[in-house]
Amino acid sequence: MPRIAGIDIPEKKKIRYGLRYIFGIGPKLADDVLAKAGIDGERRATDLTDQEIAQIASIIDGSYIVEGALRRQVQQDIQRLKDIRSYRGDRHRRGLPVRGQRTRCNARTRKGKKKTVAGKKGVKG
Amino acid sequence: MGRSLKKGPYVDEKLFRKVEKMSQATRKTPIRTWARACTVVPEFVGYTFQVHNGRTFFDVFCTEDMVGHRLGEFSPTRTFRGHTNKKEGIEAGQKG
Repeated sequence: MPRIAGIDIPEKKKIRYGLRYIFGIGPKLADDVLAKAGIDGERRATDLTDQEIAQIASIIDGSYIVEGALRRQVQQDIQRLKDIRSYRGDRHRRGLPVRGQRTRCNARTRKGKKKTVAGKKGVKG
Repeated sequence: MGRSLKKGPYVDEKLFRKVEKMSQATRKTPIRTWARACTVVPEFVGYTFQVHNGRTFFDVFCTEDMVGHRLGEFSPTRTFRGHTNKKEGIEAGQKG
């Protein structure tokens, strides 16, 4: 099982899809990395030599922020918004949508599961 | 959509002039402004602005982290005191 960027072990899949299992590597970056390494993305991860794997790993380590470091960076960005007491930081703090979406209905991804309020119209208390 | 780079950041001219004037003066007093759309530029760091939120002026002290944001982002326009709690019958106002 090849290991790239820490814990990620994609196998049997074509390498250009397998790379996407790394947090921070999407369709575009996967192809970018493979192009830089000069490896055909249609090959399976098992068919790659150790050397090729190491090459991919070094490219990712060298030029992209992935996995833990990326997660930390995202958290820091959010923390920064909170610290400067901006509107966006406030929305993060309250767990409401940040980018101006409506909240009268929907917005369940941010608000979580519905909290039914007793006594409201249509609910039998 | 973001603002075109060609134009540069939007800075309220009057407000900018006021800040420049203030930088020469020894005492720093808060600057009252309605220019919520004005971008915080590095020159603003260290000054206190009183940004209008539609009703009152909200004190905003500009730090380095705020550069690039708009003044209005720091002056909330809405008051949400929480929904009424039916059992208690009182307002749950933790987030005033």
